[in-house]
Formats: sequence, structure tokens, C-alpha cells
Amino acid sequence: MAETRARKRVLIVGLGGLGCPALSVLARESELELWLCDDDVVELSNLHRQTLYRDADVGHDKLEAAQQALILGGVAPARLVAVRSRLLPENARQLVSQVDLVLEGADNFATKFLAADAAHLEARPIVHGAAVRWVATAWAVSAGGAPCYRCLFEDVPPGAQQGCSEAGVMGPVVGFCGALMADLALRVLSGDGSAFASLYTYDGQRDHLRQVAARGRADCALCGPSPSITDILEARYCTPSCAA
Amino acid sequence: MITVRIPTPLRSLTGGEEQVQAPGETVKAVIETLEQKHPGLRDRLLDDKGVRRFVNIYVGDEDIRFLDGLETKLKAGDEISIVPAIAGG
Repeated sequence: MAETRARKRVLIVGLGGLGCPALSVLARESELELWLCDDDVVELSNLHRQTLYRDADVGHDKLEAAQQALILGGVAPARLVAVRSRLLPENARQLVSQVDLVLEGADNFATKFLAADAAHLEARPIVHGAAVRWVATAWAVSAGGAPCYRCLFEDVPPGAQQGCSEAGVMGPVVGFCGALMADLALRVLSGDGSAFASLYTYDGQRDHLRQVAARGRADCALCGPSPSITDILEARYCTPSCAA
Repeated sequence: MITVRIPTPLRSLTGGEEQVQAPGETVKAVIETLEQKHPGLRDRLLDDKGVRRFVNIYVGDEDIRFLDGLETKLKAGDEISIVPAIAGG
């Protein structure tokens, strides 16, 4: 279990369309220390939804631009920890083991499954989020790990999958989803067990939020009774990845 | 008739429609019926083992894995939702 500290640590995986709004909210919680994990640069096409960045940030590191925006907004620099890397098989468990919660808003499946596996193996709760066009999903997985991301989606889908760079994503949808992820994160950190095991799906075209029960898969390779995933192996996350 | 809510990644197969209707007494029957009108949909949802592993299908709020799978019985007015894994943000 995580050691007791004055501030709870949250690892934000991906400073994109979901990470930005989630960060904006979590940064207002003075008892949180925020570990920012991304190695991407700001692109012009990011600006409509990645709300921490401005025109002048285009071409610059997201990590630095995000820190700058948060500090300008009044966040104490000591509460921000820069992780100048994306989440990788070689650093995932070490990073996750040092925090109290992972908030995962990556835009590629390899990173999503990696974050899920690392969180389970290190017994840390994780909040997942994803959005494509008008639809977003979010849910929280407990430190106990069941039901987990692999209970729902089992493994990295084969072949090229349509993500935000191909299909597009609507700014308000990621804003809504990022705020929901932050809400789930705060509930989890406050010990609210009811935050777990509900899959939220938001349809921005109908302004409809649906909540359904997520259940564990009896033969889950990660959190099932006879797990086959007991460590992080790079080959397991070998699909082409794009920037978080 | 059964209403089927189509997720964004599959709407290219339904002419952009976010929901379609089809008759059928089971989830499998509805998917087979939809395949006639929207070729390719079945293969995006099913493989030779059943529902593809990165897709979840719900009848109402219940995951069919915890009902009778593809043989889950339907009644008029039921709604099927398809929730595929998505990555983006």
C-alpha cells in the first residue's frame, strides 16, 4: 500500500484532451501532488480541446506548457512533478508504485493496457478515460483490481484502430469526460467505494450519460483467480502507439 | 423491434446512423438481421469464438456475458448497446 504522506499523489498519464480538464480540476485540490507524464509537444490541432495550452505553446513540450499554465493559475510548483516520458513498459511499475492513484487519459490502446496492468500489479487504483468524436467512456478500477480494464476489453485490439487523430474528438466531450475522471479520482481518494465498477458512457450528441455495472470476468488474465499477467512484458504492448 | 445503438467507430457501416432497428428473438438473431442490411457489422462485433474481446454488448444495462451471451432472449422494445474499446482524448 502507498505510504502515508501529507499529500496524495496522482499520476496523470497523458496531458491531452482528457488530462487537461482533469488536471484543471485536480490542481484546485491543495492536498494533491500531481505527477505529469507526457513527452509530446503541443500541436495546433490540439488547441480546441487541450485547454491548458495557448497558441504560443505550439511546438513546445506539453509538460512544460501544462506546468506553466497551472502555476500561472496559482498552483504551487512544489505540487507538480514532471515525468518527462510517456508511460513505458520499463518505467510503468516504478512510476505507478510511487503514487496513490493513476488517472489514465492516453489515446492509444497499448498505453491503456500498460497502465491498467501496472496499476493492478502495484495495487493502485486507476481511473480510465477515452473519447472519440462525440462519445466518451470513463470508469474507476480499485486497488484490488476487479473488475479491471481487461475484464471489459481483454487485450490490445489488433490492427489500426480509429482514434482521435483519425476520427476527431469534440472539445466539450473531452471536457466533460475529463471532469468526470477527476470526479471519480477524488471519490476514490476519499475512500468512496461506490466509485468503482460502473462504466460511464457519455454521448455528447444526445447529452446522455449512461452508467452500467462493470463486472469481473471469471477468466480475466489480469485480475482473475489464475492470472497469466504477473509482470510487464514489452511484447504485450507492441501495437503502434501515438502520442498521449 | 429491437433498437440497436451504434457506437461512433461502427457508424460508417450504418450510413452514419447512431441507432438502427431490427427484429430478432435473440441478440445473435438481431446481429444476423443487421448484417443483411449493413454488411460488415457482424464481423466487427463477432469472431469465431463469439463476441470480439474488445467489444461489450449490453441489453438494457446488462452485459450479455452475464446473461445468456449471444443467445440472450429479447423482447419488443429492448435496446442493445455496443460498447467497443476506444482510445482517444
